[in-house]
Amino acid sequence: MNCHLKSRLQAAAILIGLLSPLMMLDAQEGARGGGGVSPKNVPAPTSPVTGNPTAGKQLYYSFGCYACHGYNGETGARAFVGRWGNLATEQSFITFLRGRANIAPIPPSTSMPNFSESSMSDKQAKDIYAYIRTFKSTAPDLKDASALNAILEAARQEKK
Amino acid sequence: MAKSQKTSVGRRGFLKGAATGAAALVSTPLAEAQTQRNGGSAAADGGASAPTETQLARESGNIRPPVAVRKITRPGSDLMVQTLKELGIEYAAANPGSSFEGLQESLINYGNPPNQMPEFITALHEESAVTMAHGYAKAEGKPMLALLHGTIGIQHAAMSIYQAYYDRVPILMIAGNDPDFIAAHTAHDMAGMVRSFTKWDAEPKTLDEALVAIQRAYNEAITPPMAPTLVVLGSEIQKDNAPNSKVPAYRPPEFPVIDATRAKEIANSLLGAQNPRIAVGRLRTPEGVQRAVELAELVGACTSTTATNGPMSFPQRHPLCGPGADTNYDYTLGLEAPAAQVFIQGPALGPIASSRDTGNIGFGGINGAGLGGGRGARGGPVGTRIEADAEASLPVIINEVKRQITSDQKGRIQERAAKNAGANHEAHVTAVAQAVEAKRAGWNGTPISTARLYAELWPLIKNEDWCLSSPSNFSGGHNAQLWDHNRPYSYLGGQGAGGMGYGAPASVGAALAARARNRIVVNIQTDGDLNYAPGVLWTAVHHKLPMLTVMHNNRAWHQEYMFIEYMAGVRGRGADRAHIGSTLRDPYLDYAKMAAGYGMASEGPITEPAKLSAALKRGVASVKRGEPYLIDVLTQPR
Ligand SMILES: Cc1ncc(C[n+]2csc(CCOP(=O)(O)OP(=O)(O)O)c2C)c(N)n1
Ligand SMILES: [Mg+2]
Repeated sequence: MNCHLKSRLQAAAILIGLLSPLMMLDAQEGARGGGGVSPKNVPAPTSPVTGNPTAGKQLYYSFGCYACHGYNGETGARAFVGRWGNLATEQSFITFLRGRANIAPIPPSTSMPNFSESSMSDKQAKDIYAYIRTFKSTAPDLKDASALNAILEAARQEKK
Repeated sequence: MAKSQKTSVGRRGFLKGAATGAAALVSTPLAEAQTQRNGGSAAADGGASAPTETQLARESGNIRPPVAVRKITRPGSDLMVQTLKELGIEYAAANPGSSFEGLQESLINYGNPPNQMPEFITALHEESAVTMAHGYAKAEGKPMLALLHGTIGIQHAAMSIYQAYYDRVPILMIAGNDPDFIAAHTAHDMAGMVRSFTKWDAEPKTLDEALVAIQRAYNEAITPPMAPTLVVLGSEIQKDNAPNSKVPAYRPPEFPVIDATRAKEIANSLLGAQNPRIAVGRLRTPEGVQRAVELAELVGACTSTTATNGPMSFPQRHPLCGPGADTNYDYTLGLEAPAAQVFIQGPALGPIASSRDTGNIGFGGINGAGLGGGRGARGGPVGTRIEADAEASLPVIINEVKRQITSDQKGRIQERAAKNAGANHEAHVTAVAQAVEAKRAGWNGTPISTARLYAELWPLIKNEDWCLSSPSNFSGGHNAQLWDHNRPYSYLGGQGAGGMGYGAPASVGAALAARARNRIVVNIQTDGDLNYAPGVLWTAVHHKLPMLTVMHNNRAWHQEYMFIEYMAGVRGRGADRAHIGSTLRDPYLDYAKMAAGYGMASEGPITEPAKLSAALKRGVASVKRGEPYLIDVLTQPR
């Protein structure tokens, strides 16, 4: 298989995998917006923070982090509050940003791009990290999210 | 053609006289020069002449039309309207254009009472008119009319026609053609511009042919594969006296039905199976949905549905809808949906598309998944496809089942149905429990989570007859897990071909259907989508439509913003300029004011989650009074 064709096929696979729900022609899995991820809590990291959260707030916005992670890290395609994952330490975050080896596929992609040092400095990354670390879950107990609770109760009560 | 009805002054003669007279009134040097040029050599040059000042002035309303010297007592367009009445066309949406002025005058004045069946719906853009018809057809399973001005109106409508075609939605369209007025608004083959994405078109030369063509266009639109159809009507046959014509007797179309042998086999298999299942896709009309329910109940089969994905499918919370008590099905029948053993599916659009795509444009995907050309079942094997209309075939199968069923089987079926219902209930509770758990995330965050928006709307509409008319996938698609989709029109699904500028006009169309039926329409409206042709807000107010619009205002064409962000990031250029050309900032738009400008009651922007529910309550109350309402809500982007 020639190289070009291969990358085209990979691209097509990415398109089908990532985009088809967005192309509005496919089943809705409803995984977006207000967590496909259950907010079950992995405790927030406690590692040291050296950046400036105020500067980080601006960067979180201008670099479009909110686009996929929500303004509070709780919603969107990749919510992270309560998961934390690569956000355990400042260094693991930077390693993650620099280490994403994704190629540019031919079809549009919404996966997370690589952020090289030339496009986002260590200092900026640390500021963003400091801001992210201020995020806390806003998810209430179910009983305090009355609309959600009522939906569950109604489902339970429904006549069989 | 009824040429003999004309006075000795021909239409061309009229226009020339009017032009001269008008030129005298607005005697500017330019007008005179243009009048002369027009009367002179433009045609000889082989080029179409530009509209004269006078013609443009008349088009823009500055000049009265010439006084008629003949009296028309029974214009052809009255008969056109009579034909539409007899077809049960409820609405005709249009932006006015002189190429159909004859027909428009009949629509508003002919009949007792006039302007009913169809009622004239004022559209501010042809794209809106057609997409209104798109939304209406998805809600009702039948077409309404969109009227298009010659050439330019069709061009404005093109994307929405294409999208409805892709969505296999029936729309009846009529375009006017006035060869004697403005040359730029005529064409030799008016329908040619949209032929590649319409199912059928005609340009009848006489009134009698025109009436037949309207009936045929209707029939072609509603038979599978359903699609928009177009009749081009010359202005003369609209306007000429027609003392001797009458509306031809209407013959409903024939639908492709499975043959008796197949129906027997299917009935036999459903009754003989220990654990049958019926996979239900998108049927044509609410009647089809009723019949699918009847069949499932007769044989006690559990069913799958596409009701959370689009209209005209099995009621989601019917006790038989769900995986059932045992997921090892020994016989699955598909109704417009693929299935492991046998599935009945209407003809695909592909062959029609290729025969009509004379320009060889080759629009993507026409033969593929989007158009009923055999979308694979998720995972499992796909059985034999019978090409027929499932809805029209259902009565035949139902009769066979009733004929074959034994009292023994009846007992077993009852037992199975009860078991399936119990298991489906359990499955539903489990799914809802998981969903609400996940949707707590971001509940109290600012701006408002899309999950909260859907969750807080639900208690306000669940006891109403409601229709979610806008695509929900860009706002999280939370209806799929949180709401119950039990009516054929509960959720009208996606755009069809992913074309933006759809949600608002489709909602207006759905609200036209809703208004006469004591139903309310919920439009969760993305901001980018609204801005293509927001004039439909005025249409909703003008016609007092029960449409609640709740903005999912993320101040961006957010989907595109994410794409650009990735592109810039992956090229190592950072993402901090990705907002250029993909966001709606500097300035932000004020949708409450925009709505108010169109005369719609509105409020917002709302950013605090705690304030959302009260606003939604005001909105629902307003809509229930028949007054459309818009709430601007600043949301999380997804
Ligand atoms: C007619 C048309 N033009 C452009 C596009 C490309 N497009 C796809 S998604 C999108 C953004 C839509 O923005 P909005 O409706 O606000 O939804 P959001 O992604 O912000 O939730 C655009 C412009 C399209 N699909 N259709
Ligand atoms: Mg948007």
